[in-house]
Amino acid sequence: MDDGVLAGVRVLEIGGGVPAAFATRWMAGFGADVVRTESTPGKLTDDEAVYLLAGKRRIRTNAATVRRLSLAADIVVEDRKPGTMARVGLDPETLRSEKPALTVVSITPYGQTGPYADFEATNLTSFAMGGIMSLTGMHQREPLVTGGSQALYLGGLNAFGAAVAAYLGLLIQGEGDWIDISLQECMAGMLELYGPRGAYEGVASVRSGNHVRATWGLYPCADGFAGVCALERQIPALFSVLGDPDLDDGRFRNPLERPNHDDELQAKLYGWFGERTKAEILELGERHKVPFGAVQAPGDLLANETLRERGFFDEVSTENGAARIPGRPFLGLAWRAGELHEPGADTAAIIGDWLGQVR
Amino acid sequence: MKRLPLDGVRIADLTMMWAGPYATRVLAEMGAEVVKIESPKAWDNIRTLIPQPGATDPWNSSYYFNDYNRDKKSLTLDLADPRGKAAFLRLVPHCDVVMENYRAEVLDNLGLGYEVLREAREAIILVSMAGYGKTGTERGHVGFGPIIEQMSGLASMTGYGDDGVPVKTGISYGDPVAGKAAVAAVVLALIHRKKTGQGAFIDLAQREVLSTLIGEAFVAASLRGEAPVQRGNRDSRYFAQGVYRCAGEEQWVSISVRDAGDWERLCNATGIVMHLGAMSNDARHDEIDRRIAGWCAWRGPQEVLEAVARAGVPVGRILDTKTIHEDRHLEERGYWVELPHPRMHAWKQPRSAWQFVEARPSLQRHAPLFGEHNLEILGGLLGMRADEIAELEAAGVIGDAPANPGVG
Repeated sequence: MDDGVLAGVRVLEIGGGVPAAFATRWMAGFGADVVRTESTPGKLTDDEAVYLLAGKRRIRTNAATVRRLSLAADIVVEDRKPGTMARVGLDPETLRSEKPALTVVSITPYGQTGPYADFEATNLTSFAMGGIMSLTGMHQREPLVTGGSQALYLGGLNAFGAAVAAYLGLLIQGEGDWIDISLQECMAGMLELYGPRGAYEGVASVRSGNHVRATWGLYPCADGFAGVCALERQIPALFSVLGDPDLDDGRFRNPLERPNHDDELQAKLYGWFGERTKAEILELGERHKVPFGAVQAPGDLLANETLRERGFFDEVSTENGAARIPGRPFLGLAWRAGELHEPGADTAAIIGDWLGQVR
Repeated sequence: MKRLPLDGVRIADLTMMWAGPYATRVLAEMGAEVVKIESPKAWDNIRTLIPQPGATDPWNSSYYFNDYNRDKKSLTLDLADPRGKAAFLRLVPHCDVVMENYRAEVLDNLGLGYEVLREAREAIILVSMAGYGKTGTERGHVGFGPIIEQMSGLASMTGYGDDGVPVKTGISYGDPVAGKAAVAAVVLALIHRKKTGQGAFIDLAQREVLSTLIGEAFVAASLRGEAPVQRGNRDSRYFAQGVYRCAGEEQWVSISVRDAGDWERLCNATGIVMHLGAMSNDARHDEIDRRIAGWCAWRGPQEVLEAVARAGVPVGRILDTKTIHEDRHLEERGYWVELPHPRMHAWKQPRSAWQFVEARPSLQRHAPLFGEHNLEILGGLLGMRADEIAELEAAGVIGDAPANPGVG
């Protein structure tokens, strides 16, 4: 199985924004033959294209051929607006009735149905409608979107999992399915304790900036920012590392008293973090089993020893040199780093392979 | 009736807190039978993370725990006790998958590493989801979601941009992201087993999974040495974009003006009149923000949402954890489902985000009470005699209440 668990699986990517392109990136890495149909230029930035398109073959062709390719595929992943597929002769239900083994995964901001289905959206507006944003940012300022394009990537992550689950279903039952992924729904069900709290108690939780509480927050340190996230069972170890005799007092030791003295404790933590570097803090965390972290930039991680030892990064050659990008999401199944192909470069080969034609 | 893809798959779930239980909730949504295993002495802390003064059995009545553990079965077993470990190894042959999110060395220290599990069932799939993975220099670090976010690179990219302060995402974002990747790992390993007959050992590092969601930042760093730029709510690829306060307490909307066409449509819909003139991009953006903010300030968020959306301009409310449960779109799609629970009044729980249009995953049953399925699994599945089970109970290896309840 060195070719990968998805070797021999044919995947057609249509639309090709971040959601569809990320879902199919992992399919390509685990061995699938991923064919990307060319989409509107500008849907991906150059950097996104380097990251998301490695290992995919690329075709430029007409609607009729895309339809035939869809029926030759095992999985179609698309992120066009609801109804667009049907208008170009690719209605998922029709494709499924012609080929019951096919799985179609559709990724849209709001899903295929419902009053907002046709609303325009971006990463920002999708992130907002998913609820996470209301909890993110400083209380005295406006809510803040998390960095990168998280709403779009979450759509891709969910589409990948759902697609391979459907493919497993095919191996067992002989039939695929049509999967309707809504970015909003991907996020609305991952609101930690705040989601169920809002549903159960009927009150909204307010964004709390960098401090859920003193022992669960992010602080400036000597060379950047570092954080702590201690559960009750880790509080004794945290206090011991802090080494402040004041902490040996009921107002800090007692978990029911501590919230009443959170500002005082936070001030102590500001002082402690401010005097130490990230490396010192991480070392103390490992030694004393205290959940400390430090804010790492991507450049720091490219030099990170653990990630190098674990072989995390793939190398992709580009016209601007070799890019190093996050590779396999986990170890244990064969993964291949792919090369970048030019738009349309594989058109003839794909038609030959998938449709049995020589053009 | 079409079956769900994981129908017939049984999972021994040793995970706790959020990342792992979130993964196994999704696996249960996809049809798997999930057996959640906790020790009466070391149980899932999520049960009591939120104090419930006056509750008689708070470990059974937490909305946090119960939202993420529905559709599962509860088996208590103290794995640190030889009798508990032996019972677990009797269960493994009946399982397809074992999942755990302990710190890297814990499963091996319990004497339940992959090789041991393979002796119990040759084709077992083990999915480990430690913060930093099972190998590598940092494997001994303790990591929860917020820490993972810092260590993955993501926190460095989030911030208002005018103060240099990185900002944490308001949830423990690394957890559900790792959880969804772990679900995919289970599925891929099942496909692998279907094709080869072999099991697998999946070593998933939560930090690495989160880094895969910011891949383009690694391209920028490796090709051009670029450090991440915190942009607040703006996006350099769009004409203008921001978050604006609406009428009402803490009510906000986000609007993306992707290009000049969006701006024209937004102006037509709102009556904003503004001559762009010879302004720098930043000055223009600031002025656009002021105009949009002025228009939104007097209107409710739903009115703004619908008016701007009708104009074809991207807009979204900053739905909070109350209003998201009242959103008419989610309502119409049947996203929130109320399940009865023996200790709690019903609340709106999210159905699966993986809407298989034909197989239609749906919520089945509330989260189990502590140890609720001990008899069913030990007696029924493993065929233990009543006196054997009583002995385990007397020894505290199993139980129907935590041995040491307190605040998580």
